[in-house]
Amino acid sequence: MRERLEKLTESFRSELADAPDLKSLEETRVKYLGKKGEFTAILKGLKDLPPEERPSAGVLINETRDFFESALEAAKTGLSRKQLDAAIELEKIDVTLPPKRRETGRLHPLSQIIREITGIFIGMGYEVAEGPEIELTRYNFDALNIPADHPARDSQDSFYTTDGHVLRTQTSPVQARTMEAKKPPIRIIAPGRVFRADEVDATHSPVFHQLEGLVVDKGVTMAHLKGTLSVFLKELFGEETKLRFRPHHFPFTEPSAEVDVSCFACGGKGCRVCKDSGFIEILGCGMVHPRVLSMRGIDPEVYTGFAFGLGLERIAMQRFGISDMRLLYENDVKFLSQF
Amino acid sequence: MEAPISWVREYTPVACSIKEFEDVMTMSGSKVETTRVLGGSVSGVVAGKILSIEKHPDADKLVVTKVDAGSETLQIVTGAANLKVGDFVPVATDGATLADGTKIKRGKLRGVESNGMLCSIEELGYSRSEYPEAPENGIYVFTEPQEPGVSVVSLLELYDEVAEFEITSNRTDCNSIVGIAREAAAAFGAPFTPPDASVKEAAGGSASEYISIDIQNPDCLRYCARVIKNVKIEPSPLWLRHRLIACGVRPINNIVDVTNYVMLELGQPMHAFDADGIAGGRVVVRRARDGEKFITLDGNERALDSSMMVIADPEKAVAIAGVMGGENSKVTAGASAILLESACFAGANIRQTSKKLGLRTDASSKYEKGLDPNLCDYAVNRAAHLIELLGAGEAAAGISDNYPEPKPPVTLPIEYDKINALIGFSLSRDEIDALLTRAFIEARGGVAHIPTFRADIELQADLAEEAARLYGYDKIESSASPAATAGRLSRRQKITELIKDTLAAQGYFECVTYSFESPKAFDRLLFPENAPERRAVKIQNPLGSDYSVMRTTPLNGMAESLSLNCARRNKECRLFNAARTYAPRDGGLPEEKFAVTLGAYGEKFDFFDMKGAVCALLDVLGIKAEFLAVSDLPYAHPGRAAKITKDGVTLGFIGELHPTAAANYEIGRRAYISALDGDALIESADLSRRHAPLPKFPAITRDIALLAREEVPVAEIERAIFERGGKILESAELFDVYSGNQIGQGCKSVAYNLTLRSSERTLTEDEAAAAIAKILKNIEEKTGAKLRE
Repeated sequence: MRERLEKLTESFRSELADAPDLKSLEETRVKYLGKKGEFTAILKGLKDLPPEERPSAGVLINETRDFFESALEAAKTGLSRKQLDAAIELEKIDVTLPPKRRETGRLHPLSQIIREITGIFIGMGYEVAEGPEIELTRYNFDALNIPADHPARDSQDSFYTTDGHVLRTQTSPVQARTMEAKKPPIRIIAPGRVFRADEVDATHSPVFHQLEGLVVDKGVTMAHLKGTLSVFLKELFGEETKLRFRPHHFPFTEPSAEVDVSCFACGGKGCRVCKDSGFIEILGCGMVHPRVLSMRGIDPEVYTGFAFGLGLERIAMQRFGISDMRLLYENDVKFLSQF
Repeated sequence: MEAPISWVREYTPVACSIKEFEDVMTMSGSKVETTRVLGGSVSGVVAGKILSIEKHPDADKLVVTKVDAGSETLQIVTGAANLKVGDFVPVATDGATLADGTKIKRGKLRGVESNGMLCSIEELGYSRSEYPEAPENGIYVFTEPQEPGVSVVSLLELYDEVAEFEITSNRTDCNSIVGIAREAAAAFGAPFTPPDASVKEAAGGSASEYISIDIQNPDCLRYCARVIKNVKIEPSPLWLRHRLIACGVRPINNIVDVTNYVMLELGQPMHAFDADGIAGGRVVVRRARDGEKFITLDGNERALDSSMMVIADPEKAVAIAGVMGGENSKVTAGASAILLESACFAGANIRQTSKKLGLRTDASSKYEKGLDPNLCDYAVNRAAHLIELLGAGEAAAGISDNYPEPKPPVTLPIEYDKINALIGFSLSRDEIDALLTRAFIEARGGVAHIPTFRADIELQADLAEEAARLYGYDKIESSASPAATAGRLSRRQKITELIKDTLAAQGYFECVTYSFESPKAFDRLLFPENAPERRAVKIQNPLGSDYSVMRTTPLNGMAESLSLNCARRNKECRLFNAARTYAPRDGGLPEEKFAVTLGAYGEKFDFFDMKGAVCALLDVLGIKAEFLAVSDLPYAHPGRAAKITKDGVTLGFIGELHPTAAANYEIGRRAYISALDGDALIESADLSRRHAPLPKFPAITRDIALLAREEVPVAEIERAIFERGGKILESAELFDVYSGNQIGQGCKSVAYNLTLRSSERTLTEDEAAAAIAKILKNIEEKTGAKLRE
């Protein structure tokens, strides 16, 4: 018996080693372990042995059979892996081929800037106010303390509709409308489209965008204005940005200031971009003129406020390195897809 | 405003570098735009005396000179013919730099050594208009002997620094050298000495004997005149000429130069008339007559009207007030007496006159900003002082002065607490007083005395600004503003952002278009004559007819943008726009509507690509909308357009741009546009979301293929499916539409994959079959479509 099993094992081993694929492995399995296989025959032969040999022979047969089964299993795993490896080898692709994708669009650079600035101010407790683009001269000029003979009202500077309205020349009328509609405390910004009678060139457009800010409350000071704008401008241009508040004049604020930030190009050393001054003018601001408050029914003896306004095109142009403003309104997708 | 620093320093001793001057002035409110240096590059050029002149051995047109240049005698070869021995000339020595940057080096000219160059006035950076004594072609020759070796930069006063200031509209007083000097004195805390305006009045007689002034137009606020006799007209001295040149004013003669000098110095325009040209010694300030003709100093005839103001005598106009004098009263060499005018006119009148005539002069641009009438007498005295100083004439006694309503200086109580509270600093009364006083606002006993040249100071806030700017804005301590409000976007703003983000995610690029456009846009878009869209807000003063109406529809802007992309040969293009349109409204502001617009073209792009983006947007906004075919939109392809509605409300349209419209925009291919009513989208948007339990039981799916008439829209079949699908119909997905050989003429096959599921139990085959049967029956009833055999 032992001899027979050893012989069997030998032939099984060589068949296993020679099996080229899973199919021949299966044939081997059937040949030895199948219903009509070798082991069935050997088991049948067990009864021919003398009874005292039978138990030890049975153990031996079972051990051999267990060995066959696990060897087959191992060979099967090995072969499967080989086959898979071969298949995988054939499935190799060039991963540097272009992607299949739906191209995503982008927000316009101006929208991106507006969104960024809006985010900064929302974080500081501001709401976003809106107003009409075709405006009453009352809101665009009178309410902002702009005298009747001020050159800004001139038709050389401002567009008028045939029914006497003005295409708002600044986002500031939103200030006036907000103060009329709301009681202090007021904290708003108002981004939007404005119009001036400028011919189109690399730095001018008759349609452009501004962002206005207004705070009215008890005890608001110029120190708060400085603090607010410093947080805003450092957030927008970087923590290392230096600010410069210069006295200036606007009819709707008193005191008024212009704010310069250290030059983006040279960091303040002086270069062609900043005309060697080291600074770039970025916004106008000031304490809301008492007359502007009282005209909207807010008592300037009780409340004070500050306001600021900035042009968004130049910020977008600076941020994205755009040197010609006309590109912003052409809508060439080759341009729009860059942002 | 351009100010030579040397001139400013004459009135306030500000000793610092130009850079520091710039900074301090800028930070106190007088922004220096640029500075330029006159004669700055000229160096190494000295006065020299010509000792000898000899012929050049090898060249007919050259001479060899020996020049005493101070430290040495130089041999210099020159081609100039205007020299003689003993002349004093500018000598560029070896290593010198000329105005244009040219470096002079010793060398040989036709074999003869030349150790420098003799210079013309042009080579020193100027011209004969500034140095009229210079010859037309040749070497500049000093009119007087000079010490050899002394730099010509100082001899000819070539060097100066000129700062250009940005003057804000409230500070008309700063449009003058004296104004700048006052600001410099305030900024640096330096003393200020006003220009001397003492007049000797050596001529005898008094101005009032010669001249009376009759103001007939209230736009003339004051008219002062002095009479100058014994007039001697000649060129002005170099120092005066030089200052005019530095400010960009061409010197003419001493009298004219003085009037210009005073205008620059004090900001008060002046005019000199030939006294003989004023009939009857009577100056009348009156309205011009409509159609009155007048020849101005520049020789042009001007047609006047009654809105304008003239200076006249009883017979004729002699000047257009505040703008320009007349040919008929011009000061000429023979004038025996002149009348010096120093007047104040209302700014608006001068601005309108100057605009109407298209004639903007130095005087008009000063007047139109509004001047202080109290400056008139001082200015006329200063001019008389200078004329006497130059020996150009002698003043008669007194001023003829008509000043109907003298403007008194005003006072303002100083509210120290309010000033401190507005700025956010805490200065003492003394500190604030001192700051105001520095700004020429005398502050004593709690009262501010405002000089009349500071008409801009009316309120505490104005005083606060004066104190703050001289204290230094940069020194004001920043502090955080206490936020008493919650920052947020409104629902409308949030949805707007969501719309933009969704469209960008769908592959569309946001574009920005002008709000105004050409009225021809309506023709290009094929709107009929009576289309309501053609009723647009018109601009009274457009940049051109292409920008003359406010858009009533976003279609033109989008079509233009698509067109540009075609012209730029971009193969595909997907754009969206979120902006306003403007509809006129009777009595009141126009209605501004929010429009969301998509536009696209591309080789593989079709209607359904755009529909996909629109549906994605509607999905995100929680809007279940229907698409209904429309064929009556003028700008859209009649067979390829749909109206998008929700519960009877139109949300917009989607469609192919009408081929004719596309051709009008030179798009040259199929283009697709969807114009959505942004306001309606925001109104209908439903962003609330509720969780529905996930399915627990298996679904049964069935495919049905239907035979329908070609013209039946699948939306109708779909509606029929859902009408009878009951609760168990989970979805019906269209997976095939086919018309062709196997299908009868005028018919199409429409195949759906239906999913049926109950939320309570596993459906039986019988239940599913019954449901499908009901659905098929309804489809046939509603649309005539039958199950394909």
